Amino acid sequence: MRNKIKIVLLINAVLLLASCASTNIKKYYADNKLALDNISQTYREQNAKGSFSILFTDKSFKHVSIEIATDTIKYIYEFELNEKRLGDTLIKYHLPVNETEGLITAMKAIKCSWISNLDYYEDEKKGSLVFMSIRSKSFNIPLVDKKYYILTYYAQPQYYDSEGRLLDRKKRRRLRRINKDIFYRINDKVCYTVSNLFR
Amino acid sequence: MIKYAVQDFYNLINKKILVFLLSISCANFANAFQNINADKPTSTKEDAVLFINKIKELQPNSNWPDINPHLFLENIKDNINNPLNLYEGLNTNFCGYAALSYLVLHDDPLGYAKCMIELYNNGKSKFGKSTLHPSLNIHKIAGGLRFKGVMDIRPADQLWFLCLADHFKGYLNSFNHNYQLGDEDTFWAAVNYEKFNRMIRDLLHYKVVARGSDLLRPWIHDTYKYLSKTMQNGVTIMYVNNTILHKKNYNLVRAGVPTHFIVLLNISKAENGLINIVYWDYGFRTLRQLTPAFLRKITFGISHCTKKINNEE
Repeated sequence: MRNKIKIVLLINAVLLLASCASTNIKKYYADNKLALDNISQTYREQNAKGSFSILFTDKSFKHVSIEIATDTIKYIYEFELNEKRLGDTLIKYHLPVNETEGLITAMKAIKCSWISNLDYYEDEKKGSLVFMSIRSKSFNIPLVDKKYYILTYYAQPQYYDSEGRLLDRKKRRRLRRINKDIFYRINDKVCYTVSNLFR
Repeated sequence: MIKYAVQDFYNLINKKILVFLLSISCANFANAFQNINADKPTSTKEDAVLFINKIKELQPNSNWPDINPHLFLENIKDNINNPLNLYEGLNTNFCGYAALSYLVLHDDPLGYAKCMIELYNNGKSKFGKSTLHPSLNIHKIAGGLRFKGVMDIRPADQLWFLCLADHFKGYLNSFNHNYQLGDEDTFWAAVNYEKFNRMIRDLLHYKVVARGSDLLRPWIHDTYKYLSKTMQNGVTIMYVNNTILHKKNYNLVRAGVPTHFIVLLNISKAENGLINIVYWDYGFRTLRQLTPAFLRKITFGISHCTKKINNEE
């Protein structure tokens, strides 16, 4: 009987932790708003000069992969942090070295695994958003599959339903999904979800 | 007397050498001719452009309620002119059909254009040995897929991929044969290795030498050497484990199965022993440097596709 009670309590605890996801991420955003917004803004500015994405390829944030897209081909390189090749590569593709390295350092500081630009379409018009994934230790719960906070930064204010879910502008009753996930409001231009994939 | 005998002997030898040299030349010429034929596409881009440019506009078709006819026509034209732009959509299971389409658009763009126009106008069309006759659910949704990146505004790609997935079935599709909205991301659209090679043989005049499987890596001693050899002619398509190639989480345990098809465009070895590969997927060419061990780890299938010569089976 006591064992059964323990099991029920354990299940409840796991469910409670899982349901806290939205609270966690909103609190996380509030606590790190300045850093997150700065990363998003810096990335948007640099990406406008030359399209690229940054990925930390390991949990310890010691290796970084840069995907540089030109008109004809996408180059994927992987470096150790502080490796000289990283700077040389950025120069080769005319990406600003200091700004990009600063971005990588800022990403590491808040455990941001991945940042990229994503195109989306509304009424056949192209829009773009900044897609950021953050691996949070506080949310790394065993048995709970979803491990990454995803934040999306839009250039324009978005539409939400009464439950704060992101809507597709074309048909406002239809939920907008990215990578099959539903997104929720943080503010007019920033949404979040929790996912088991960082991109 | 001896002098004449020697002279005859020389003449005989000379004739035989001449015949031998001629036979070699003929064989080489025949081979060269076959190779020219082998590299010749079924139709050319110019043929396709000529055909599609004659169609000024398409009328809306109630059979395809979500297809914008203008975007549909523009999409076909873009695929003919820029076949590498073909995009399989964000997080769909259409990668196998996209790799197949690479072959279609490079080998028979005219056939592709005619097939698409016929599908739009008549609801069915023949391509190669197959007749594509999409189900009612495909009619309802084609052109209406959303949140797939640029595929949102490419209705011809949506129709083409959905039709292929609806028509060709493999064991991975056993539990879901009827399309419902969202199934483009599920096993309904999945492509196993046997099905992939079958689709090429059914739709195109290609001979496919396939090494590999859905579960085990091919027994190839040196993957780099093998791939380099296949790259000398035809088209090479790799069936790879994308959870390693295109990392999406930090999980230590990963399913050791292939999940993605890429078209190999170039392979070379760098001075430091690393392997440079250029491949096509997701509407992009990508250059990436891999270790030989990594290349072996991700490779589960290699399909080498060469044009059939005349009536070769």
